[in-house]
Amino acid sequence: MYLRFSVRHITKLLCSGWAFLLIFYSGVSGAAESIEFVDQRDRTIKLDGPAERVVTIPIPAASMFIAVDGGTDHLVGMHNLSKAAIKGRILGKFFPDSLSIPSNVTGKGFTFTPNVEELLKLNPDLVFQWGHLNDDIIDPLENAGLNVALIKIGKEAFTRKWLQIMGAVTGKEEKAKQLIAWRDSVAKEVADISKSIPDSEKPRTLYFMNYLSKLRVAGGKSYNNYYIDLAGGKNVASSLGMFAEVGIEQVLEWNPEVILLNGFEAKLSPEDLYKNELLADVSAVKNRRVYKMPLGGYRWDPPNQESPLTWLWLSMVLHPDKFEWDLTKRIDSSYQIMYGKGVTAADVENILRFDMNSTAANYQIFR
Amino acid sequence: MITVTNASVKYDNRFVFRDLGFTLPKGKIGAILGSNGRGKTSLLKAIVGLQKLTGGSIQTTGRIGYVAQKTEITFSYRVLDIVVMGRAPHVKMFRVPSVEDYEIARKTLTDLRLDHLIDQPYSRLSGGERQLVMIARALASECRILVLDEPTSALDLANQLVIFQALQKVAKKSGLTVLMTTHAPQQVSLMCEYVLLMYNTEESEWGEVDSTLNAENLERLYGIPMREVKVSSTEKTFVPLISTTET
Amino acid sequence: MTQREMEQGDAKLGYFRSNHTWLYWALVIALVLSILIALGQGRYEIDFYSVSLILLENMAMVSESWKPVDERIVELIRLPRIIVAGIAGAGLAVAGAALQGIFKNPLVGPQIIGVSSGAAFGGAFAILVSESQVLLVSLAFVFGLLAIALVYIVSRQHGRASILMLVLSGIVISAFFSALVSLTKFVADPDDKLPAIVFWLMGSFASASYEKVLLIGLPVVFGIGVIYLLRFQLNVLSLGDEQAQSLGLEVEKIRWIVLAAIALVSAAVVAAAGVIGWVGLVIPHFSRMLCGPDHKVLIPISALVGAIYLIHVDTVARTVSPAEIPVGIITALIGAPIFAYLLRKASDKGWSAE
Repeated sequence: MYLRFSVRHITKLLCSGWAFLLIFYSGVSGAAESIEFVDQRDRTIKLDGPAERVVTIPIPAASMFIAVDGGTDHLVGMHNLSKAAIKGRILGKFFPDSLSIPSNVTGKGFTFTPNVEELLKLNPDLVFQWGHLNDDIIDPLENAGLNVALIKIGKEAFTRKWLQIMGAVTGKEEKAKQLIAWRDSVAKEVADISKSIPDSEKPRTLYFMNYLSKLRVAGGKSYNNYYIDLAGGKNVASSLGMFAEVGIEQVLEWNPEVILLNGFEAKLSPEDLYKNELLADVSAVKNRRVYKMPLGGYRWDPPNQESPLTWLWLSMVLHPDKFEWDLTKRIDSSYQIMYGKGVTAADVENILRFDMNSTAANYQIFR
Repeated sequence: MITVTNASVKYDNRFVFRDLGFTLPKGKIGAILGSNGRGKTSLLKAIVGLQKLTGGSIQTTGRIGYVAQKTEITFSYRVLDIVVMGRAPHVKMFRVPSVEDYEIARKTLTDLRLDHLIDQPYSRLSGGERQLVMIARALASECRILVLDEPTSALDLANQLVIFQALQKVAKKSGLTVLMTTHAPQQVSLMCEYVLLMYNTEESEWGEVDSTLNAENLERLYGIPMREVKVSSTEKTFVPLISTTET
Repeated sequence: MTQREMEQGDAKLGYFRSNHTWLYWALVIALVLSILIALGQGRYEIDFYSVSLILLENMAMVSESWKPVDERIVELIRLPRIIVAGIAGAGLAVAGAALQGIFKNPLVGPQIIGVSSGAAFGGAFAILVSESQVLLVSLAFVFGLLAIALVYIVSRQHGRASILMLVLSGIVISAFFSALVSLTKFVADPDDKLPAIVFWLMGSFASASYEKVLLIGLPVVFGIGVIYLLRFQLNVLSLGDEQAQSLGLEVEKIRWIVLAAIALVSAAVVAAAGVIGWVGLVIPHFSRMLCGPDHKVLIPISALVGAIYLIHVDTVARTVSPAEIPVGIITALIGAPIFAYLLRKASDKGWSAE
């Protein structure tokens, strides 16, 4: 305890010493202005200028950082599962260099405990870490004298805050504002049409967070519930909390008209449900309205930089007669803004999971 | 018959007893006397086969029934169910006792006049009844030798007598060889024909009770002064051995 | 000798107390009623009349007045789930009764003795290296048995195992296998194997099917059969090693056969439904209060009571809310306080010492 205490003290002293030197230096050279922002645990973080070397530990943060920064030049480390979502996917194609960014800043698998020494080797200006898990994953970073920004996941508002923070960190506040404004405008576009849809015409919709080994569905407090509502659907599981395990009988009782399958279970495909004899009477299965969630710069089901595309896609899936967006164009233009790259028709088919969804009802509208 | 030749038992490199030997003839009752820790129980267990000898050998003829000192059991089975467990040596793996096995168990209980206990759960029995049930269980195995570890130590005087009489009766009637440990020399002089005195690790003495169980030997055995007092009644002479130390 | 003659013989000898026959019938009827009640309960509403007709249709011609989905729910969802729950309950209860017998201690259960965590590791490891269900059950069995064996070896001093040593050894071995489970999760592919392992470990009857009925049913029925065949030997073994050995019993051999049967049953249950605690501890104890300690009666009675108990627990788990309540939570909520009560009662009787 004493050791830890003294280490903290010494690092703080050293840091403040460095800060003095830097202030002195920057005063002399008249270089970049210092940056100050508040993270999602209401801590104020000061940087001496736009971050040049950033490490992201929360899994979706890597692709969001790339989107805000417009490239991978300032991303020096990421979670191994962030990399898994880039490798072989559209971001890997856009930014082949990203595949050489170290991803050993935590242990392998679903862990967020930092490897502090590996991290220090990368000499980062700023490390993004989860703020809603326990503090044991934060303390080692702070004890090592690193700048840490804490972020949380869940609500749409949180995601906007991520964009805002990342804009501040990279000095690309304008782009962050643009991405937030895009969210606002698309949300409004979709809501303008969906709010006039009478309740009786809103399809009963169910999102499977897990299907293969257990049935786990998204409840009323999930982000999925937010966009199902927005896109003019009714989440049949809205009486449950975040995510909950249910029995198959409950699914039959709900009898959803549309079923959405998560992007996390890589092998899960609508075919699995069509083949399941027990689900044969479910409306979505009978009418082939089971859809695999798309995967673009990141999986479209959790909140991320591409969420507006999720909303547009889902509104068309739920109401093919009421929404007529040119999704290919939307993807292309937004990718131009976020990543500075355009997409081909083949890319779009890939993102929209035509490999699994092509035989689903109405899916040809996306071609 | 039990023949023990040059038997030794060692725990942790320390001899409990060494080069011990005796022969108890068929149909006789023998007792083992010795102060605590002399290895009486170890010797019994060696005879029963629950304890390995470090040296020497033990020969016995016929099945041995064993009644341990401890009579508690975890689950309170019915008396008949306990006695029928004595038939275990005759019940094959994956089999249960036959009707005949139950008949034998019942008969053993009848012989010991325990019929009234047949349906009682074991936990409701008195200490003396438990000891008798344990003896019945051993007898139900149709043993030729019965080995008992301090069968009367936890019992009151009346119950001690019941046990001894039962043992004497069985020994006479069916030619059963009985060997027991005890702390009561008087009982040995009354009930037994042979006695083993375990003085210390190296030395012991075996012989007929009349010639071996005397004040001199008992003084040596327990390290306290002893005295014989002859009491004559109409039928026989009774020789109680009493300690002469002040208490 | 026919079964009837044997029973007559037993009855003549007073072995079969008449109230046991009565108890059997009462429990069999209770089991049938429990299954029928459970078939009529669920999140999807089917009236009891339709449920009865659907069942009847299998034996006699009944005009179909129900929706096809109703029949699927009753016969393909509820019935296999009820059967799996019943088999699991019976298996766990019998495994518990046998464990209590061979450890001559009424306060041990499959969970306390480490078999569940051993089986959990075996299963998790099987998922890691293959997709075979048979390998899953096999490895769960091997490591469940290994865990019991380790607890057995560690807890025995001079041929005795006190309850304290048993519980402590169980904690040690369970902790060890839990660490191995964590290690398995650590090295598992997070996109594919990890979620499969995590969900398998949580366990539930929700994924029951007729394949699972076979998967769990065959090993459990076989294990219960072996234990039932050894009912007399279990009685003798429960007297303690010394007495059992002096009665000519092959103590070690029989104990290992019973331990293997227990590991098989526990592993099959863990493989099909995850770790469900407390059933094997509480049900045999309760059954002993009903019918006495004789394993001849205790084994079948425990099986019946265990089956009835878990069928009802699972019915609650799948009906009270749209979200499934893990069965293990309910059994622990009921079992833990009962165990605490038994522990206190036992320490009064001096079981703590031996």
